[in-house]
Amino acid sequence: MIIKSQSRRRFTGVAALAAVALGITACSSGTSSGTDAEGGSDDVSGDITLLTPIFEGTDGQQLLEDELLPQFYEDYPDVTVSVDYTTYGNLNEKLTTAAVSGAVPDVMMMGVGWIEGFADRGLLADQSELGNTEEKLLETYTPAIVDAGTWDGGVYGMPIMLDTRYGVANMELLEEAGYDAPPSSWDELVEISEALTVRADDGTLERAGFDLLSNDPRQVFETFLFSAGGDLFNEDVTEPTFNGPEGVSALQLMTDLINEHEVEDIGFSSPDAAVNPLLNGRAAMGLAHNNLWTQGLEADPEMLENLEPFVIQGEGEGMFFGGTFATRSATSQHPEAAQALLEFLASPGPALAANEQRGNVPALTELLDSDYVQSNRFVQFSMENLDVAKREGGPPSWLEVRGDFAPAIESALLGQAEPQAALDDLAALVDEAMARQ
Amino acid sequence: MTSTETPAGAGLAARKPAPVRRHKYSRAERKLRRTGWLMITPALLHLALWTAIPVVATFALGFTNYNVFSPPQWVGLQNYVEIVQDPVFRKATWNTIVYTFWTVPVSMAIALVIAVALNQGLRFQKWYRTAFFLPQVTATVAIAMVWLWIFNPQQGLLNAFLGLFGIPGQAWLADPDWALWSVILVGAWQGIGIKMLIYIAALQNIDGSLYEAASVDGASTVRKFFAITVPMLKPATFFVLVISIINAFQVFDQIYVLTNGGPANATTMMTYEVYRSAFEEFRMGMASAQSVVLFIFLLFMTLVGRRATREDH
Repeated sequence: MIIKSQSRRRFTGVAALAAVALGITACSSGTSSGTDAEGGSDDVSGDITLLTPIFEGTDGQQLLEDELLPQFYEDYPDVTVSVDYTTYGNLNEKLTTAAVSGAVPDVMMMGVGWIEGFADRGLLADQSELGNTEEKLLETYTPAIVDAGTWDGGVYGMPIMLDTRYGVANMELLEEAGYDAPPSSWDELVEISEALTVRADDGTLERAGFDLLSNDPRQVFETFLFSAGGDLFNEDVTEPTFNGPEGVSALQLMTDLINEHEVEDIGFSSPDAAVNPLLNGRAAMGLAHNNLWTQGLEADPEMLENLEPFVIQGEGEGMFFGGTFATRSATSQHPEAAQALLEFLASPGPALAANEQRGNVPALTELLDSDYVQSNRFVQFSMENLDVAKREGGPPSWLEVRGDFAPAIESALLGQAEPQAALDDLAALVDEAMARQ
Repeated sequence: MTSTETPAGAGLAARKPAPVRRHKYSRAERKLRRTGWLMITPALLHLALWTAIPVVATFALGFTNYNVFSPPQWVGLQNYVEIVQDPVFRKATWNTIVYTFWTVPVSMAIALVIAVALNQGLRFQKWYRTAFFLPQVTATVAIAMVWLWIFNPQQGLLNAFLGLFGIPGQAWLADPDWALWSVILVGAWQGIGIKMLIYIAALQNIDGSLYEAASVDGASTVRKFFAITVPMLKPATFFVLVISIINAFQVFDQIYVLTNGGPANATTMMTYEVYRSAFEEFRMGMASAQSVVLFIFLLFMTLVGRRATREDH
């Protein structure tokens, strides 16, 4: 969709946010100055495309087209941006077909774990050659986030937003049951979950003690794996380690919570549930996405007062982070214009606005003090604990295998396979995919 | 047979039989032929560009390891060996067969009953026909979204309805024992419309005098249905059977929206595995090989249907 024509629109709606965003951008010492420094915005021109799984929906589209891009056009009046909206579910298809047809978008938003694969295939431009070196990024982002945008010594993705998973407890229910703090170990998690599970006389589950099922099973497993002190891959990312003792104990815990301790029933919730059970009292605790706060503001703001985030503690600390990075095509016909857009979108103002629209966690450390973060307890919690958060991905073949995790984990949860066997079969698939690279 | 053999290296001319006197077209005939070719050229081009070339490319890519980002590498039959050994694709094949086995005959039987009922000159029969045909022309994604709500274990219509009779609800799409049956139910329901339409058209071609003669002979309604209607509908039945089998083997949208092939691959289908290989794993060579396997299944089913139709006539 060509939106240059819309660039002249007057700002409406959340003008105050735009003003704050502009102010932060102007004051920033971040990464948005590269193109100006190279040659000046007057020299930058061209029609470029942006493929984005964020800014989705009417609100997101309005934010991008009515507020952010007009700001960009003020600095780059000779650049025209065509936006191709998609979702993370369809991003793979878009990128694959784009690569086949040779029409790779100039700027692409992609997730944590995606960078390695596309960088390895030569699709992405190395940002470190343009001044966005790893050392420079480490001044404004935590190391784990910078690492997620790098591959083989190069920087290929500029962090924009993070999304985290951690435990959330309904403290009102915990206190009623005599617990004054969220669980600080797996044993406590099991004990409190069992105590808070409520079933009807006929055995129908009325309240889950711990909700595992409202998130992607892969990400739930990863969070428990990290809390067991495990990792998905070995240090040099040459072989999977998630089927080691930590992974098996993590999947065993998940399996036991459902089948032995019966704190939740299969089908009680799902990742596409209309309302998260933590928000309507159907779960006392659970693993949650940080945007639960934003959902809660719309559904039941009072409920949020009772919800307390916590890192799942085992042998290690269980907090997962994914996110969205801005990347630039290595084959862009207008690299300066594409680079300018990338750096604009990753700069503090636009990044903050994008995060607020999605209820996500800004990647830039300096945004911890922003009003948005300070008013969102879950995002604040995420940012304060990013140093213990771990991410998924690692090898270039991650995108090929990540879809295999859910069936393997589900087979264990459903009792069709022992956790060790399910993870060993999965590891064999991952090994095969890594060998094909 | 030796007369047709050609020595190695012989040219095309050497293989030509004795010259046959060719029919000489008149000027008008030549013009007519040219016009004919001209008129079918767009269709031929379309067929070549969008069907022939992709089909040939699919067969060729099936023998390669092609990940989109680098040139294809020849791997011979490796993809096919992997398909045979892959438990998930075997599961997908079995699920597809089960899905087809249940959706095709069930929806055909229901469609026939509805078609016969709507062919009796009922009041509002046009309205009924439209209503039954509506699922066919509605986007599968939209339909699947409605069924997602119907199957919702907590707020869904199905469990609420069962609850009225004291029957405990199920996690229809999350329980592997129920998920495939739930998908089959949606498939059967959605397929009724087009089958009904074909049956109605066929019913209206049955000579009414056959029924009159049967009535004179004292045949009951049931007797007339089985002795006249069903045999007279055989050509339509075989046609419906063939297209239904092809459609059932190509089921994708509702799996994509309802279950994503889960739980634990309980509802994955051949087409869904093709999609996963191509767009999740970037294995276009494998996806092509899987498509060839699907094509062979469909070809076999179609040939069986055609043979049955031919025997009938």
